[in-house]
Amino acid sequence: MSNYFNTLPLREKLNQLGVCDFMDSSEFLDGVNALKGKKLVIIGCGAQGLNQGLNLRDSGLDVSYTLRKEAIEGKRDSWKNATENNFTVGTYEELIPTADVLINLTPDKQHTSVVTAVMPLMKQGATLSYSHGFNIVEEGMQVRKDITVIMVAPKCPGSEVRAEYVRGFGVPTLIAVHPENDPQGKGLDQAKAYCVGTGGHKAGVLKSSFVAEVKSDLMGEQTILCGLLQTGSILSFDKMIEKGIDAGYASKLVQYGVEVITEALKQGGITAMMDRLSNVAKIKAFEVSEELKTIMRPLFQKHQDDIMSGEFSRVMMEDWAAGDKNLLAWRAATGETAFEKTPAGNVKIGEQEYFDNALLMVAFVRAGVELAFETMVEAGIKPESAYYESLHETPLIANTIARKKLFEMNRVISDTAEYGCYLFDHACKPLLADFMTKVDTDLIGKNFNDGKDGAVDNRALISVNEVIRSHQVEVVGAELRKAMTAMKSIKTA
Amino acid sequence: MSQPVVHIARFNLKYHQKPVLQDLSWVINRNDNWLLCGSSGTGKTSLAKAIAGLIPVPNGEVKINFNPESSLPALVHYVANWYQFKDLEGASNFYYQQRYNSSVTVTTATVIAELEVYGKEHRLQFEEIEHILEALGFTSLKNSPLIQLSSGEHKKLQLVKALWLKPQLLILDQPYNGLDTVSRKNLNVLLEEIASAGTQLILISNETELPAVINRFAEIREGALKEISFEERALDLVEEISKPVPSFLNNVSVSSTADHIIKMIDVNISYSGKQVLKNINWEVNSGEKWLLQGYNGSGKSTLLSLIAGDHPQAYSNNFYLFGNKRGTGESIWEIKERIGLISPELHWYFDASATVWQSIASGFYDSSGLFCNPGATKHKQVEELIQYFGLGEYKNRLMNELPLGKQRLTLLARTIIKNPEILILDEPCQGLDQQQTQHFNKLVDELCKNGTTLIYVGHFESQLPGCLEKRILLENGEVKSVEPMLQTI
Repeated sequence: MSNYFNTLPLREKLNQLGVCDFMDSSEFLDGVNALKGKKLVIIGCGAQGLNQGLNLRDSGLDVSYTLRKEAIEGKRDSWKNATENNFTVGTYEELIPTADVLINLTPDKQHTSVVTAVMPLMKQGATLSYSHGFNIVEEGMQVRKDITVIMVAPKCPGSEVRAEYVRGFGVPTLIAVHPENDPQGKGLDQAKAYCVGTGGHKAGVLKSSFVAEVKSDLMGEQTILCGLLQTGSILSFDKMIEKGIDAGYASKLVQYGVEVITEALKQGGITAMMDRLSNVAKIKAFEVSEELKTIMRPLFQKHQDDIMSGEFSRVMMEDWAAGDKNLLAWRAATGETAFEKTPAGNVKIGEQEYFDNALLMVAFVRAGVELAFETMVEAGIKPESAYYESLHETPLIANTIARKKLFEMNRVISDTAEYGCYLFDHACKPLLADFMTKVDTDLIGKNFNDGKDGAVDNRALISVNEVIRSHQVEVVGAELRKAMTAMKSIKTA
Repeated sequence: MSQPVVHIARFNLKYHQKPVLQDLSWVINRNDNWLLCGSSGTGKTSLAKAIAGLIPVPNGEVKINFNPESSLPALVHYVANWYQFKDLEGASNFYYQQRYNSSVTVTTATVIAELEVYGKEHRLQFEEIEHILEALGFTSLKNSPLIQLSSGEHKKLQLVKALWLKPQLLILDQPYNGLDTVSRKNLNVLLEEIASAGTQLILISNETELPAVINRFAEIREGALKEISFEERALDLVEEISKPVPSFLNNVSVSSTADHIIKMIDVNISYSGKQVLKNINWEVNSGEKWLLQGYNGSGKSTLLSLIAGDHPQAYSNNFYLFGNKRGTGESIWEIKERIGLISPELHWYFDASATVWQSIASGFYDSSGLFCNPGATKHKQVEELIQYFGLGEYKNRLMNELPLGKQRLTLLARTIIKNPEILILDEPCQGLDQQQTQHFNKLVDELCKNGTTLIYVGHFESQLPGCLEKRILLENGEVKSVEPMLQTI
């Protein structure tokens, strides 16, 4: 198998990277009809598998689960999840030949072996659904020509997919049809019906392509989502310790700070996040983030280049072949950092204090989001796709850090994201070494406004606001967020 | 004469710039055990929290003098009218159907693990707890995860902790909410026990069956605390609301097209081998008015969750709703559209970011929170109901900032707004005072004249709507009896 994207002529590469259509709610008026009466069989019953299945069944669809023989005989967790919620469970041989739509919700790394095993069992003209395009795009999986290949990717953890559905809402979802595998032209209708079945149509659906999803997803997770949040958290914490800030306070400020700061981002974009600062602090955060953007831009570009050329996947798959040697070593090292080992202190930090005393973190978030977005758009990814994979997901990842710091974040995200995160982190820290020597506690650990009278030059403030507000990520974001207004806000610690 | 245990002087409290408590004074002496009553929103809970040191006292004085000779912990312990629990990662982002799902991912601690942590924190003796668990019928729940407890069971867990702690001063805010009759009696016995061992009590409640040790009575009216007599305490203060039922809810026939609204044939529900419903057979015909009763933990809310489309095990049972077998292509939203539901769990898990207006309007869509613009007609209906329930001044406030009673009125409005074919009212009046309860039950009678099917859960015979015709009693997950209701109610 060879990298699918690299087999395409440039015209077609650009074509597929450019698939991006934020769908109108009128596109979903047919409800679940395209899947009604069809047999939906889900492979895997982890968090995504179980919760999507519960939603699809509650939407009136026929859902069952297929697991490997060993998982059934060993009564493993996936078997218990499915049977105790009264789903039919069977082996590949028993259920796959009956499936009209086979939904692959196994981890990325298993896709090649799973799809290779199930394909010969699938009936003529059936549909295979993915929730991530890595297998098709980077590994070049060739699926039988009579089979329709679609993607439905809820942009939230499995537990949220269920929680939002039963509230009467849903989570933002990305859908795609693989152009090489849509022999009957039914792919899009089925993907839309699937979205209605999980409730995603109420929260905004982005029509994308396998290629655009993979190339933007990899870029987002490596740079802003996981990579920069990790680097920024560790550097901020270490700086505070170096400058004598109480360790418990520093730990809490970083652990919960990312969540509080990015909550403003979720509600109203970079603008809302920056507006939480006083005028003097905002101008300072703007300057710091501009400097960070200049320093880090080449690294963001390198990541995007390696993702586009397939170099990133090649190197990571080598590590898979080596039994995850690098991944496991890096994961262990993350568990040993001072930030990870210092428990959050029993101190009260007010909501506003998370902004005022962590100006550097705000600057990191602005720089990272804008850089990731700009770099993706320069590489041919459409702004809406780039928004989802940068700004939109940042608060979701920040939430995992608030729960249990970086080790937890890396446990929750996919191995692919985790691998890319470490690559970025290891390159970014040395890059910021000089910059960090200039940072003092006014930027991180203490209130930036202390000892200042708050006066600013009107024109300076106006021009800073102008730059922040007119950035393309803000323009696109304002539009997309309208569809997601009802997303639950995350409470502060 | 020893110093008073609690001495409050010139205590003032405002809610959104509006004075709630004004220059309030209260002296609590040793051997006093008080009942504090008053209608919803008079500031009872805030006063209790101020005594317990849970909210700041910006204005006035609240002094506590513990007894240095007492062997009991020198603590004021406040048992809130609202329970809280967290998952193992410290978050409490739950949804109310979650307890019916079965997932191997352990999300919350078990009862016993929770109690062990609590006991360690307060250095309590484990031998002393068995007797409390026994009296409140909690022994069998020791190994249940917190997420699986019903609201009544959560209330009991709060009470178990407080009774085990035996602080010098114990404040219980609406402790009887959600408890069945036997548990209420046993709670009173337990409270008498700790009172005789030296714990002083303040009870916030509008109930009439109280522990015998309660010897002082007070009510809050117009911002001041006033001592009243034993006889005066149950008198209602709120003027009778006699507004006409909004016309869009009245005289509109809602009888169902299906003869059998519900038909259950040998329905069984179990989690990991533990059976919670056993061979349930039950038929509800269109227009019937049912009372569903049973002790806490008898399976009532599980049974109702099946009807409301909230239970995943509905799919493996022989069970018909509105004439159709469950699991034959219907979606839960098609089911919910025909049902108006309220329950303590729905209230507890309801969207905290919704305003009163949005919460009521969400009843049109059966969602927890509002996700679309309801349009002019529905807009007007929401406004009418807001006026009817007297919630006008609160309509743009977040629901969870309101006193419990007002929150409940909001959700009651949400439940009836679409005038559904079937009303499922699971302890609908929890947290309301007696007058509000009577008033709501009269409204239920009114609504049900038009063919509505009703399933009502209530522990107290004196607090039920008059239209109920039949009673089903559950015990340990089984149908104990089905019988007609006596006309006298």
